[in-house]
Amino acid sequence: MTASPGTLGVVPPPEGPVPDAEPAARVRGLRKTFGRVVAVDGVDLDLPKGAIVGMLGPNGSGKTTLIRMLLGLTRPTAGSVELLGRRGDDLPAALPDVGALVEGPGFHPFLSGRDNLLRAAATEPRLDGDLRAPVDAALERVGLGGGASGATGGGDAARRRYRGYSLGMKQRLGLAAALLVPRRLVVLDEPTNGLDPAGTRDVRRVIAELHEAGTTVLLSSHLLAEVEAVCTHVAVLQRGTLLVSGELAGLLDGGAGELVLTVDDHDAALDALRAAGAGPYVRDGGVVVPAGTLEPPEVVEALVHWGVGVWEVHRRRAHLEELFARLTEEDT
Amino acid sequence: MSTTVATRGAAATRTTAPLSRLLAAELRWVLRRPRTLVVLGLLALVPLAIAIGIATTGGPSEGRGPGLVAQIAGNGFVLPVVALGLSLALLLPLAVASAGADAIAGEAATGTLRGLLLAPVGRMRLVVMKAAGVVTVAVLAVLVVAVVGMIAGTVVVGGAQGTLVTLSGTQLGIGEALGRIALVAVWTVGQLLAVGAVALAISTFTEHPLVVLACVLGGLIVFGVLSAVPSLDWLQPVLLTTGFSAGTDVLRDPLPLGGLASSSLRALVYVVLGLGVTLARMRRRDA
Repeated sequence: MTASPGTLGVVPPPEGPVPDAEPAARVRGLRKTFGRVVAVDGVDLDLPKGAIVGMLGPNGSGKTTLIRMLLGLTRPTAGSVELLGRRGDDLPAALPDVGALVEGPGFHPFLSGRDNLLRAAATEPRLDGDLRAPVDAALERVGLGGGASGATGGGDAARRRYRGYSLGMKQRLGLAAALLVPRRLVVLDEPTNGLDPAGTRDVRRVIAELHEAGTTVLLSSHLLAEVEAVCTHVAVLQRGTLLVSGELAGLLDGGAGELVLTVDDHDAALDALRAAGAGPYVRDGGVVVPAGTLEPPEVVEALVHWGVGVWEVHRRRAHLEELFARLTEEDT
Repeated sequence: MSTTVATRGAAATRTTAPLSRLLAAELRWVLRRPRTLVVLGLLALVPLAIAIGIATTGGPSEGRGPGLVAQIAGNGFVLPVVALGLSLALLLPLAVASAGADAIAGEAATGTLRGLLLAPVGRMRLVVMKAAGVVTVAVLAVLVVAVVGMIAGTVVVGGAQGTLVTLSGTQLGIGEALGRIALVAVWTVGQLLAVGAVALAISTFTEHPLVVLACVLGGLIVFGVLSAVPSLDWLQPVLLTTGFSAGTDVLRDPLPLGGLASSSLRALVYVVLGLGVTLARMRRRDA
């Protein structure tokens, strides 16, 4: 089950294990420049253990560069990275427990999907003995398996050459490589690129399964709805800097949440609320109390005092899209 | 611990897969690559083509001195030596350079280098693994030319009663003839390893395998041109190609070892330099 962000400002208890104090990954003052281009600038970020962290940002905002530094694929110009408690030259020691799909899937076109995974499995420190079992399990999990659940191209998709794969099948195979071993952290960079709705659903299911098993997930995406649907935490990047990060529910709650009232007398309601100190207005046949003025009990009390009949008080939850728009607007 | 599947023993704590498994995976990958198989097949054609040429023309034409190829007529054991010498000019370096190009630049181009570093295969182990793949291709390429050459030489050309007539006019028994062929094969592998090490080094700087091929083959051609300029004689000792002709020394009697030794030493220097650059570069390379 995916974590559904709270409504009415109630922070839901995190599903899965309670996040530890020690984060799965931590970056401090991270900076990367390519010549005169600053790709990432002064980013401080924690990935709490067991969280699903959605990293949002427009194309070119530094998401992939940040991930590459986190995984030791690119050296930071400045700043530090700590991955599962390992840092500096010791960082690769954390990698056996990290699964990653970065910058799209990379496989050899002349090998079948399964043979590609077998080659990847041979390089996995955590695997021992017969490599076929974990490979087949991973294929099954992403819908490329030979069983009845094979979602793409029938049962033999994994045995066809990678050359002939569709974009969605390539993406699934990349996901399978990240899942070859039970991981403590899984990093997925734009995992739903090129996937059809069924594929997107499968990715969400996989993320939910990882979350239940206690795995920390870092999901980078430019699809706000996707992040909002699956993540417990978000981090918003723009032009290399971190605009905001934290628990999704908390950010949304702090972000907006106007109250929409259905009442029998608009004019009386407006008077009552003005007297109580809110700045109400009428929209679409409802009375709107802007966020951050009055709380629902105060609103109801004021209205009842004035003899206004209250049919409904509804808090419109802010959507990530609004939060994102507000954040990126403030910055520009 | 969130691990749900029990990993036993060493697998639970080690930070890289066992080297034997990495090497096996690398060899399987090298040998399944269509390009490797095509190049090996092409190399098999070299001694066959020479054998067919000898069989149809029947040796040197009237009025011409006996060239090296002409020595093969009625002297089948010379064929593998000549075939190796001719292939070393371009075809064998091409095979090895192509292996070196695919080893790192090719993996970077397909995005699989990232996967190897994330597994993680340690960066130093990666170089060991990749070097092993290149060595394998070099050995196989030489074996193909030598073995097909021996078979074609024996079957198509025929030996002088199972002996080898040297350039010096003496006859060697079959045992010594095979020894000479083995010697030139090992020596050729040595020369190719120099080419392979340089190819690997270049491979670490690019993600375009063709750049590696162009640099290595272009380099060999430039070396050839430089060695043809008399005023640049002083360059000869550092040019890898200078020693490429030493292989036919095994056809002389008694066997002169000077050329073989000095060219092998030169190749060794190239191997050390190439591997040094490869290691230094892979320590820092982004993937």
